[in-house]
This record gives sequence, structure tokens and C-alpha cells, in this order.
Amino acid sequence: MMKRFNLAALIIVVILVGGFLWMGPSGTQRIQSAFLGFISPFLKTGSALEKKITAVRHGLKTLAQLEVENQQLSVRNKELSAVNSMLRDLEAENRQLRKALEYRERAEFKLVPARIIARDASTWWNTVEIDRGTAEGIRREMPVLTESGLVGKVTVVSDHAATVVLISDESCKVAAKIEGTREQGIVSGERDSGGGVPLISMRIPSKQAELEPGRKVYSSGVGGVYPAGILIGVLRDFKARELDGYATLIPAVDLTTLEDVFVVTGAGSQ
Amino acid sequence: MIAFLLVLIVACFGSLVVQHFIPPVAFLEGARVFLMPVVFFYGALALPYGLTLALAVVCGFMWDALTVQVVSLMGEGGITNVVEIAFGWSIVLYALLGAVMSGFRPLFLRGRWEIHCLMSGLLVSLMVLAEFLMLSLRRVALYEATGFVINREIWWRIGGAGLIALALAPLVYWFLSGLSSVVNYHPRAAAARNRTEEV
Repeated sequence: MMKRFNLAALIIVVILVGGFLWMGPSGTQRIQSAFLGFISPFLKTGSALEKKITAVRHGLKTLAQLEVENQQLSVRNKELSAVNSMLRDLEAENRQLRKALEYRERAEFKLVPARIIARDASTWWNTVEIDRGTAEGIRREMPVLTESGLVGKVTVVSDHAATVVLISDESCKVAAKIEGTREQGIVSGERDSGGGVPLISMRIPSKQAELEPGRKVYSSGVGGVYPAGILIGVLRDFKARELDGYATLIPAVDLTTLEDVFVVTGAGSQ
Repeated sequence: MIAFLLVLIVACFGSLVVQHFIPPVAFLEGARVFLMPVVFFYGALALPYGLTLALAVVCGFMWDALTVQVVSLMGEGGITNVVEIAFGWSIVLYALLGAVMSGFRPLFLRGRWEIHCLMSGLLVSLMVLAEFLMLSLRRVALYEATGFVINREIWWRIGGAGLIALALAPLVYWFLSGLSSVVNYHPRAAAARNRTEEV
């Protein structure tokens, strides 16, 4: 009886797995999207609990401390408002001048703020889950960044959550250029991170490139997924290989302590 | 038996959620804490293989739904979407490792609790190693990635995950044994009943 039951279970599992393996990318994404939608309320609850625990662990602040902090933030807010208004004037002026010179209009980004609700639980993949989804205008392949630089891109989207693959993942590839040079290449993540700090690498077609550590690396906009000019990282070292050049970079964003990000929902590249 | 299977499915889901909030262990070179497989391996010992397969489907499905990557590749005909490791491989992996664990069921039914602990450590490492091998093979084929570069850090991530599972397994064993009593499922009695029915 039990043997017959085991055999029947085995046959059902084989058929089921065969069906899954047969499935293409769109079917896979549909299942992932549905499951993300199912698990995201649990992840959001977990994230809220984690934040509460962290807040308690870091201690409650006194009224005086809060007052000082509030004052500092208020001053900072005024400063930033002033800078923002000045930048808006400059942007308008820049647009007028570009028009006068018949330059192509630079695409305007629309940024949707999102909070990280969970980090990946696997060994070989580098992803995070955010609390924004299709309902907030998020779509697959949209770039994700912070004020410091590029974070990654959206890979799976459900109604109110999305999965973001980080630039430290080997499967995330970004066309990039190096500041102050004509060198361009492809940036991607590394499977071994070098002592816990995520590293990213850049393959450069020219092996004769003369690149000193400290140079900044920006997205080049080639490929259309990532807008041009977003800071990716800083060059750590460069070595010439047989056929090309290989550089390691330190990501501009601290990917291990990310909390808030922005999804670029507006026009992509220039 | 079915009630305990349902309890284990909920426990697997819960442990998967909890796993997301446990950071990698820095002193083990970033090795991860795998709770869901440890729960699954308890199920593989406590349940007959037919139900272990059902649990393998659930665990493999959930894992693939969260980790499988669909990557965009630039080819001659434009951008094409490709699945890195096809959805469903984790079910195969769970089913195979569950079968290995089921082989030790007679010892578990004799009350040898340490079997769950030792085998969880070993099989979690095997699981992470299998993922590494599948990923390396696929990424080499897809976009000439680094391939089978196995250095100290990668060994630690594979072995470290097993060590952590080994340390956590007694707690999981104790917790799930308690839950099985709550739903009135006693693996030894259930196995004896099945044997009698077969005779």
C-alpha cells in the first residue's frame, strides 16, 4: 500500500517538475510575481518588527537629544531647500540654453522612493525585496539607485513588492565608462565578495589602458536599461589580461546596509 | 500524518521568511543560515517518502520562486530573456536529498536524534555546493562568467552553511518534535502501523 503510494507520489512529482522545467522565462516570471505577492506581506511584517527591535536596541533618545536633532534637521532642511531651488533655476536655464543650441533634451527621471523589506536568503544570489510594485508604477528592468549611486535593477514585480538584483550579483551587467578617460566596459558583480564587502568588476576591451585607483566609474547609458551618468563605484585596481583589461571596483553604495532606495520610473537613458 | 505534513509546510514557509532577516555570518566568510532545509530534513525523517516528496515540491517551489533569475541577454536578434537555472531544479534537489535522509529513517525511528543533526549539516552543505555547481555551469554557458573558481571564501560559504545547520538542527528537532506531539503524530507508531498494514 505504502509502496504504491510512494510510486504514485513520485510519478506526480516527475510530471510536475517536467512541467516547471518546460516553462519559459515569462511563465517563470508569472509564478515568481505571484509568489512574491503572497510572501511580501510576511516580509513587510518581519521588516517592521526588525526595525522596532533595532530601535529598542539602539536605545530611546531623551527629549533634549530629540530637540537638538530636530533643530539640526530643520537647519539642514532649509539649506537643502535653498540648494534645490537654486538647482531648479539652473535646470531651467540649462534647458533653455540646450534648446538654443539645439541639443537633444536630457531625459528627466521620475524617482519612486522604496524601502527594503528583506534581503536575499541565498548564498550565490544578491537580491533585495522592496515595498513598491506595479501599483506604484514599478516595472521589470527599471534601474534602482540611491543618492550615492547605482544599486541594481528590478527583476520581479508583484502588486506591492518587487525584487531588485544588486550590482554585486554576477548576473547584473552595466555598461560603464571611466571618469577622465575614454575607456568603456561592462561592470558586473563577483561571486566571492572579498571578506564580506561586495566587490564589483569591470571588463575593459583595451588592455593598454592606464588607470589609476580612485577614478570614478559611471553608467554609460549604452543598452538602454540604466541612464547615463550614474555613479557605480570607484576603481580599486586594474590589471591587463591576455585579451582585455580587468578592474575591480568598490561600489559607490554600501550594499550591505541599504535601507531606502529610489526606482527610476521615468525615461531611461539619454 | 497529513496534519503534521501541513504543520511542516507552514514551518517551512515560516522558516523561509525568518531566513530573510538573518544576516550572513561574517566570521564564516558570509555563510548563510538555512532554516528551511533543516525543517525539511526533519520532515524527511518523520514522514514516509511519499509525503517527503510533497514537502520537497513545496520547499523547492518556494526556493525557486525567490531565487531563480531571468536574465536579459543581448544577442544577434536583440534582447532575449533567459532563465538562469530552470524553475524546478530545486524540487529535484530537495527530492534527492530527502531520499538520502529517508534512508536514515529506521535509525530516527529508533530514537537516534543525532541523525537529523549530523545529516542536516552534511546535506545543507551538499545543497549549497550543488547550487554553486549548477550556477557555475550555467553562467559559463550564458555569459562566460568566472566558472569554477573555488577559493577559500567559497569553501567556507559551502561548509559554513553546513556547520550552522548542524548547530541549529537540535533546536529545530526539539521544536518540531513538540509540534508533532501537539498534532498527535508519533512517527514510530505511524511507521509500525504502516508495516502492519503491509504485512
